[in-house]
Amino acid sequence: MGWTSQDDLINQITTNGKYGNVFYNKTLSSAGTAGHWQLLSGHAGSPAAATFAGSDLTFVSTDDTWSEGAPYHGGNVSTATKHFLGAGAACVAAAGAPWYLMAIDLVGYVPLSGTNVSTTGTKTVTMTALGGGDRYASGEGLRLFVAADTALGINAPTCVINYLDTGGGAGATTTFTSTASLGIGQLLNSGTAANKYNPFLPMASGDTGVSDIVSLVWSGTAHASGTVVIGLCKPLWTIPVPATGLYTKVDFLNAFPSLPRIVDGANIQFLLFQTGATTSAGTIMVDFDYGYGG
Amino acid sequence: MGFDNIRQWPDAENAGQSWITGFRKAPSSVATTTSAWTDYSYYAGSPPANFYASTPLEASVVDPTRGIYVPTVSPATQHLRNLKLMSGASAATSTANSRQGLILSDYLLYYPFIDTDAVGEQQDMTNTTAIPRYEGGQVVAVSQSTASTTGQFTFTYTNENGVSGRVSQNHFTFAVGAGGQVVASSVGSAASYHPFCSLQAGDSGVKSIESVTFTAAGGGLMALVIVKPLMTAYVTQEARRTTSGNLESYGACNEFAAMIHNRPVQIIDGAVLNLLAAGYGGSLASSFLVGLVETTWN
Repeated sequence: MGWTSQDDLINQITTNGKYGNVFYNKTLSSAGTAGHWQLLSGHAGSPAAATFAGSDLTFVSTDDTWSEGAPYHGGNVSTATKHFLGAGAACVAAAGAPWYLMAIDLVGYVPLSGTNVSTTGTKTVTMTALGGGDRYASGEGLRLFVAADTALGINAPTCVINYLDTGGGAGATTTFTSTASLGIGQLLNSGTAANKYNPFLPMASGDTGVSDIVSLVWSGTAHASGTVVIGLCKPLWTIPVPATGLYTKVDFLNAFPSLPRIVDGANIQFLLFQTGATTSAGTIMVDFDYGYGG
Repeated sequence: MGFDNIRQWPDAENAGQSWITGFRKAPSSVATTTSAWTDYSYYAGSPPANFYASTPLEASVVDPTRGIYVPTVSPATQHLRNLKLMSGASAATSTANSRQGLILSDYLLYYPFIDTDAVGEQQDMTNTTAIPRYEGGQVVAVSQSTASTTGQFTFTYTNENGVSGRVSQNHFTFAVGAGGQVVASSVGSAASYHPFCSLQAGDSGVKSIESVTFTAAGGGLMALVIVKPLMTAYVTQEARRTTSGNLESYGACNEFAAMIHNRPVQIIDGAVLNLLAAGYGGSLASSFLVGLVETTWN
């Protein structure tokens, strides 16, 4: 359970010490693109750059012990529930402002490389549908994106992802058009042209989440090279960063709805909405604090 | 159904009944008129530009792909939970895009390519397509070309109650450098700016437009667009960084949260969301508006 009152919260995070801070920073390895969202996990910093290891087309489940770089947020607290209390962010780059930063719980990913990127057609994914032992048992609230793991080659194929919804029914995302030559972490489905979706892929009407990734289907002219990941995540919160060097702090205690939850095992990662083309070597700093009760 | 209490909002979010969409709209390099209104849907970006390009004088619904994406959720009802807005400056020293008044709207129906030079000629509209989602809305006159001078016009319409033959107030248009500006300013003069056309006394909305008649030439083309205003918002300061002298950063994000700042407006399935804006600080040329729309349904 969470807190029963504000007095209880104050007692838990002070007297009982059920409180912690997390600090995170990344340095962009290449220049960004205006209007694109970007997954920061693959960039150097703290934690170190993730490479999204795994077998092609096989879902890799991640949690707060992910060896490639999950910020540690104090471990499991069940039967208590852990919640964000506040968060702050700043970016420093000569170009690219303003920015929006989004925290996500990266539930897992599917790597694609080689001919699974450089040829069109259906790429069938191996994944055990989420269930009772998973953080989001039926995939409720989970969203899909496709990110460049390494820089992509030329061409811009169209793409659709087939999935199972929270009830196990078959669904398909809206078809999106990729972008040629994206850099590390940039979302193929985002951008400023037609058939772009920022940052998550629209799902079938009425669907509220994803319990299983079935396949990815490329059409048109395939990317010449590169590797990508299908990301499965739960959006947590957003912070605006209006200009380089400015620090924005968000209070989740008094916001509405308040106190977003950090479920046990959450792999907290970040997406950055670059409204301009952020300079290579631009830096992003994030911090958040959390508490738990019970 | 909507929400019965505060608790249902986080419960809905935990159940996955929420969505977030980022958008970025970039006005062209042609100057817009200070304090006059402009139509962000007309400009490039995400969602892509909406030029009201279809058969002249024929009613048409606005292409859904030109709106900020929100999911279809029926039989649940979807409500705006949060709107965040920032505006990037056109240059390191430009403050022209500060102080923008904004109206988030559901774009419903439009009549394109009305000739503002057709003085004395009644331009009849073709109404084979009905207004979607609402019984009526407000009328916005959006330029589809340059406009060289001050024109005047009235239009006849069917009001929200289905009464036809209603006659709008006489409106002035004004000179603009490109499409996308709201050219019908006011009933008083060409130098007074309002987003919506004024209707016959007693009417609060328009279901369809029957004809347009100009009594003074405006020197351009325009579309009459029927929109449903959902909420008002504001951008206070432009986002920018100086590049010489004492380097300084400027900017602010304006956040509009349901229940705290505004009522949780309902977004009806199929809504084509976009924004109208008045640039009180100057021209919006080459600036860009970026934001996040968050919705929750129950």
